[in-house]
Amino acid sequence: MAAMEVDPVNNHPQRKQSHYQSLDENFMIQKETYRGQQYSQIYFARLDLMRTLIYSLLPNWKPHLPVRTVLGLEEGKECIIVGTLYKDMKLKPSILDEYSKERSATPLVKPHNFTHPDDYLVLEDESGRVKLRGTVLSPSVYVTGNVVALHGKDSGAGDYLVEDILEAGLPPQLELPYKSGEDKYVVFVSGLNVGSNSSNPLQFQLFVDHITGHLGDEKVQSIAAQIVQVVIAGNSVEVPRGLLNGQNLASKDQSRLSEPIKEVDILLTQIAAGIPLDIMPGPNDPANFSLPQQPLHRCLFPGSAAYNTFRSCTNPHSFDLDNVRFLGTSGQNIDDLEKYSEAKDKLAFLERTLRWRHLAPTAPNTLGCYPFTDRDPFLMESCPHVYFIGNQDRYETRLIKGSEGQLVRLICIPRFSETGTAVV
Amino acid sequence: MASRGGDIQGFYRQRKKGITKPANAKAKTSSSKKPSSPNRSAATFGSDVTQPPALISHASLDLQDDYDANEEFLRQFDMNMAYGPCLGMTRMARWERASRRGLNPPKDVECLLRSAKVRPECLWDGRV
Repeated sequence: MAAMEVDPVNNHPQRKQSHYQSLDENFMIQKETYRGQQYSQIYFARLDLMRTLIYSLLPNWKPHLPVRTVLGLEEGKECIIVGTLYKDMKLKPSILDEYSKERSATPLVKPHNFTHPDDYLVLEDESGRVKLRGTVLSPSVYVTGNVVALHGKDSGAGDYLVEDILEAGLPPQLELPYKSGEDKYVVFVSGLNVGSNSSNPLQFQLFVDHITGHLGDEKVQSIAAQIVQVVIAGNSVEVPRGLLNGQNLASKDQSRLSEPIKEVDILLTQIAAGIPLDIMPGPNDPANFSLPQQPLHRCLFPGSAAYNTFRSCTNPHSFDLDNVRFLGTSGQNIDDLEKYSEAKDKLAFLERTLRWRHLAPTAPNTLGCYPFTDRDPFLMESCPHVYFIGNQDRYETRLIKGSEGQLVRLICIPRFSETGTAVV
Repeated sequence: MASRGGDIQGFYRQRKKGITKPANAKAKTSSSKKPSSPNRSAATFGSDVTQPPALISHASLDLQDDYDANEEFLRQFDMNMAYGPCLGMTRMARWERASRRGLNPPKDVECLLRSAKVRPECLWDGRV
């Protein structure tokens, strides 16, 4: 839909349009019912799906070696085993520690990163588990929940000596559509944190004015007219937590609670009036805690929800814009990876999740997750063209190539309230 | 309490159907796997080791179940690790999931689940 610029100039630029298609169905939980199931079901679904995938890749990797289950390992013979990795971490906080300690008012110390040189990996499939040894496998890279294939042999001492490792690799990617000639832009922003001390409403208002074209001269406006989509990747509000201490709220406090979201709604209405807008929930937003987070409810945004350009989406979010596939989250999966493994920078984590073909391998181990029984929605069936995460410390981007010619642009979106940066 | 009086049997309400005579419980332990002997509990595969006659409290085994050939067959299906964990899903849902994934679960299980009067969930459902 075109938005007319309110401008006395005769030929004002028209906003470009794009064909949008949401692929969030996989992440919605409407049809699931909780029947008391445990997380073993989602692990089984993950192992099963990825195992068939890895089996199809094995002939290209090492066709001469036999594939065994963990219980079928024979001592000294080289073979391949496929299973889920489990990382035994010394520093990982365990719920049992809280029971054994005396109750104290101070919260447990939270180190930023739980890795330790003594961590070791264990491979598990339905039949059993085996401890892994070997210099090829670095425990600081992998986390619990990855499904991999390992080539090595049973060392006879009760563990498995790994010689080589195969990950699922990048999923197949659809062809990038032929560029029609005009540039179109998508704006990503995250971490608005309206309601917190660090957010600056002026900055956000400036941002809104810029993308709706109320600023600048014609050239700037024509650039703004090429923006076809805005995606807000999480953490739009920061609810004042101090009020929620278990006592009944006075009515004055109640209105203070809802102020940030009302502010956001006013600002979003301005954007939604002109551009298609997607809003994703983040860790601090009033949505459910466990992934996949469900869309923020429409009644939270009475002003913007009236527009059909306003779309409330799940986290993780996947959509197609003019046949270019976008996939991203509000950052919880990568932040969790950061706590339990090590890498040079955030983009390395992004790349690893792509190579493992799984958005959130640490779910449900350390990341809250809904206990699905028959599928694992975080498995990536097809490779996105753009892969983004929100709420990071700074802006970073890279283009990576896959083994079959896939090209993915990785983007880390910084927190707007701290940096004032949006990604275009 | 090894009391075996008849009024004790009536006094303690039996939760499950299919109460067998206490005389069978005194039989020598034999690890027979015949599914037709109903008071050999399924989990112990016929031996008496968990329910020795001296400890039986009210004239029948603790693990009294509607246990017949069908149930035994379905329990083998439950225990088969190739189809994933059995807890938390109905047997039919688990069978359907397995057939959707191409694991070829036996068709007899499906027929049994649809037709006969068997438990829809696995043995530990609700107990764990």
